[in-house]
Amino acid sequence: MRIVQHPILTFARGKKISFTFDGRTLEGYEGEPIAAALHDAGVKVLRRSIRLSRPRGFFCAVGKCSSCLMKVDGKPNVRVCIEPLREGMRVETQRGKGELIERG
Amino acid sequence: MVKGAEVVIIGAGIIGSSIAYYLAKEGLKDVVILEREYPCWGATGRCGAGIRQQWGTEMNCRLAKGSVEIFKGLSDELGYDIEFEQGGYLVLATSQAQLQLYKRNVALQNRLGIPSRIVTPQEAKEIVPILKTDGLPGAAYCPTDGHANPFKTNLAYLRAAERLGVKLYKFTPVVGIEVKDGMVQGVITTAGRIETSKVVNAAGGYSAEVGKLAGLEIPTHSERHQIMVTEPLDGLFDPMVISFTSGLYCQQVPPGSILMGMGDPDEPPSHNLSASWQFLQRMAQEVLRILPVLKEVRVVRQWAGLYNKTPDAQPIIGEAEKVKGFYMAIGFSGHGFMIAPMTSYILARLITGGEPPISVERLSLERFERGELVIEPSVVG
Amino acid sequence: MREVEIAIVGGGPAGLSAAGIALQTGATALLIDDGQHLGGQLVKQTHKFFGSKEQYASTRGIEIARILEKGLEGHPHLEVWLNSSAVGYYPDGVLTVLKDERLVKVKPARLIIATGAAEKMLAFANNDLPGVYGAGAVQTLMNLYGVLPGRRALMVGAGNIGLIVSYQLLQAGVEVEAVVEAMPKVGGYWVHAAKLRRTGVPILTSYTVLAAEGREWVEGAIICPVDERFRPIKGKEQRIEVDLICLAVGLSPLSELLWQAGCKMKYISQLGGFAPLRDGNMETTVKGVYVAGDSAGVEEASTAMVEGRIAGLAAATSLGYRIADAQRLKEGLWAELEMLRRGPVGQKVREGVKTALINQDSDS
Repeated sequence: MRIVQHPILTFARGKKISFTFDGRTLEGYEGEPIAAALHDAGVKVLRRSIRLSRPRGFFCAVGKCSSCLMKVDGKPNVRVCIEPLREGMRVETQRGKGELIERG
Repeated sequence: MVKGAEVVIIGAGIIGSSIAYYLAKEGLKDVVILEREYPCWGATGRCGAGIRQQWGTEMNCRLAKGSVEIFKGLSDELGYDIEFEQGGYLVLATSQAQLQLYKRNVALQNRLGIPSRIVTPQEAKEIVPILKTDGLPGAAYCPTDGHANPFKTNLAYLRAAERLGVKLYKFTPVVGIEVKDGMVQGVITTAGRIETSKVVNAAGGYSAEVGKLAGLEIPTHSERHQIMVTEPLDGLFDPMVISFTSGLYCQQVPPGSILMGMGDPDEPPSHNLSASWQFLQRMAQEVLRILPVLKEVRVVRQWAGLYNKTPDAQPIIGEAEKVKGFYMAIGFSGHGFMIAPMTSYILARLITGGEPPISVERLSLERFERGELVIEPSVVG
Repeated sequence: MREVEIAIVGGGPAGLSAAGIALQTGATALLIDDGQHLGGQLVKQTHKFFGSKEQYASTRGIEIARILEKGLEGHPHLEVWLNSSAVGYYPDGVLTVLKDERLVKVKPARLIIATGAAEKMLAFANNDLPGVYGAGAVQTLMNLYGVLPGRRALMVGAGNIGLIVSYQLLQAGVEVEAVVEAMPKVGGYWVHAAKLRRTGVPILTSYTVLAAEGREWVEGAIICPVDERFRPIKGKEQRIEVDLICLAVGLSPLSELLWQAGCKMKYISQLGGFAPLRDGNMETTVKGVYVAGDSAGVEEASTAMVEGRIAGLAAATSLGYRIADAQRLKEGLWAELEMLRRGPVGQKVREGVKTALINQDSDS
């Protein structure tokens, strides 16, 4: 959900673009963190913990806590809370610790 | 602080802790460990923790094989999972001459029951799919070599020893060793004196300093070695990959991180424990020569530890001739963790007067005076 | 190897202020920040600041960030590296920076560490569920990117951050069900608390959160009063319907570079954790390494700016750069700090800073 009206702030949003999350096409604004666009789309679970597979989401927003590691354009362990969103990005939930080499 | 002990061990790393455990298991009741800092502070907590049996001398092969046999049952024996895994060691050759040497070593190893073999570059790539094999003449591979968690192994030994009555004093530096008529009388610490006739020097990077306290000149010196580790990833390869030429070793450890280290021929003797950016750079360049896909992986940490080296890069195991009751398990020259179980067991047998399963007479302190160095071709400097 | 006069790590209020005064003396500076923009946490502070006119009282944080940045824009002696993480500081004085996926080596004659602080975590059941967010993260999401962090929130902590962010949540259209605070009284400024109370949000003191509930994300929270020893009182648990649990339980200095540099550190609870010992120039025990802002001890943006100026001034003058009335300027900055730390809310910080200060009358 986006904030539409705010008593103090106006949001200088970038160009509206589309990207995919686990194959689903979503929209966001260019340059905002991937996690912001996902949150807007209601995607709260960004990864699963390695041992117990517990859901993990956005947490620190400054790239320090590793709660939001996802696979972006095939690359694992991307911190989506700070990675800027670009047109056509392929964002995926990563399995386990992340695969360096994509297996077909 | 106790007033007296049968044996006082200086150092609570993997060596000191395992010796304490085997002594207590042999029935000794009053064993004390003195640790200047805390367990795992020194080389054990900073090491790569690879376990290799591919050696070039019979004694080392037997010590390593004996250790692997102990490692296999160690989690059960000590009641604590040490994360021992047998992912093998792939030893890269960089020249035909080196490959020939490996062939001789493999013949020796096979004779002693170590299942190593020479592999072609293609086979090497099957074992480590991300390996770059261009210009590789071949490699040696032993599937039963492996890795364990050094912290857990150290603590498992220590806790088991404590359950058998061993007392550990942390943050207790030894400041003096009393010797009278060539015999150990006691140990002085910052917290008091302990009367004892037997002391074990298991002080790792500080072995020469402990030797001095007993009036002994021990020809060991310490040298900084560094390691770096990457973010964790799903399984890419199982074995430790090493090269005796560059001194590089690299392995993906159970949490998924890729751990790698490499010696520097220009590293001066020191107790320097600070990490350097030069290592980071050199290590990255070297590892990418053989495992180029790692260029995508982030390094998350680096650190340094000490190798305690002897003139022949082989440890000193046994009692000093000049000071009765002064035992040593030092100078492992970077290979202490992997042969700790067997060497510690042997030293415990020597202390209690039992027969050791493998003779380590060649590893005496006095070999250096006599000029009888042990020539081992397969060391990672 | 890149040689620079003054490297500043962190482009928040402290780092920007340090750069500003250093440039004023004629020194050159390299400003390094791991974010996409300068301003640090100021860029999401929509509230108006207190303090002196010099420190932009009655100005909103977001505007202060703009003012500070504008003052530096295009300065020929300043280089700014954004999206660049300072990842190591080595004994030979080399600072390594991860920039554009490469390790860049910088050798600064002086280093100012202004890395800020990180939020503390609180232990309670299911605290890893999505929807349990740090207060800073909530601000980032809603104030910077205009995304709602949730619909109904529980705020944990009634210090200044907890109070301010609760108000900001309301401004963004999020309902704040309650603010819980384990201490028997509100820790933040009375003004912030009063403003929030007027909106009808209950501030529950001597209360804590025991658990987050929900399967895939937060669907509720269990809160409970605590006794004088902070133990939950059995049988008094209450469930509240929320989809956001916002943690504002304090910050601790980000001190990794200070540790690496070998600065003498001391655990000072009043400053949020380990803080470096420093002198009247904000120089640490390692010569040439200065500290300013939250990385020197958690405080406010206003004090961070003053500390930044002290550090920037000292670093530049130690390199031989001159500015008129440097000594008077420095004394004036210390007087400002004293003023900003006045009163009962500043008491903790005053005690903490006193423990961290060494050689108070040393001059450079």
